[in-house]
Amino acid sequence: MKIKARIKGDIISVKAMAKHEMMTYDVAEKKTGDRNNANYITHISATVNGKTVFEMSTSQFLSKNPIFKFKFKGAAAGEKLIITWVDLKGNTKTSKSKIK
Amino acid sequence: MQRRKFLSLGALAAAAAFVPASLSAEDYRKTKPDAWKAHTVEDAITKLYGTSVSIEKGVKLTTPDVAANGGAIPVDIKSDIDAKSVAVFQDVNPESAVAVFTVLEGGIIDYSIKMKMKKSGTITIIVEGKDGKLYSAKKTLDVALGGCEG
Repeated sequence: MKIKARIKGDIISVKAMAKHEMMTYDVAEKKTGDRNNANYITHISATVNGKTVFEMSTSQFLSKNPIFKFKFKGAAAGEKLIITWVDLKGNTKTSKSKIK
Repeated sequence: MQRRKFLSLGALAAAAAFVPASLSAEDYRKTKPDAWKAHTVEDAITKLYGTSVSIEKGVKLTTPDVAANGGAIPVDIKSDIDAKSVAVFQDVNPESAVAVFTVLEGGIIDYSIKMKMKKSGTITIIVEGKDGKLYSAKKTLDVALGGCEG
């Protein structure tokens, strides 16, 4: 996962890209013949110092390798932003980035 | 052995201390599983929020008027409403719900995502205010190349 977190004033802007196929049920059926092969990110969350600052429940209709941006307050430069995603098959991925 | 026991107790206590922070967030796929299977926007909104009545103001939705690639349509959402959650729907894919954001303490409603749309259609944003009302924004756009076929 690629994460960029920049602080300006007291607002932190985050831009992140999760690497994921985001296969919908229709595509799974077309390519593999089985709808159950669909797999996509279902939940993305971000924390700083153990406090959740961003949360998104998602469906199969985010783009492939989805890019998402969000803003929040209440963190300082140098602190670590941790983003975690979970997909339908239960795989998870966690990445960290320092707020600059 | 005593020391080991003590340490594991400490680890448990630390884990318990983290629980309240994660409870402030909500996984809408687990709490509202039906909303993700709904085939119409209205049905999805009703299943998520209990009503589909919304006031069309206070929410800014920015997308291109014509999306060249339906596989990655940039969608920007902004609002100053004191809100609990923000949801994104569209009316052309097999199911309607795209994403639900939880607005947390310190969170600002200024999100951008990239989404897929099969063909030209309408994107609907619902912002659930802390006052219990739903606020919405809609935008109809043309999709030049459908994005659900991978």
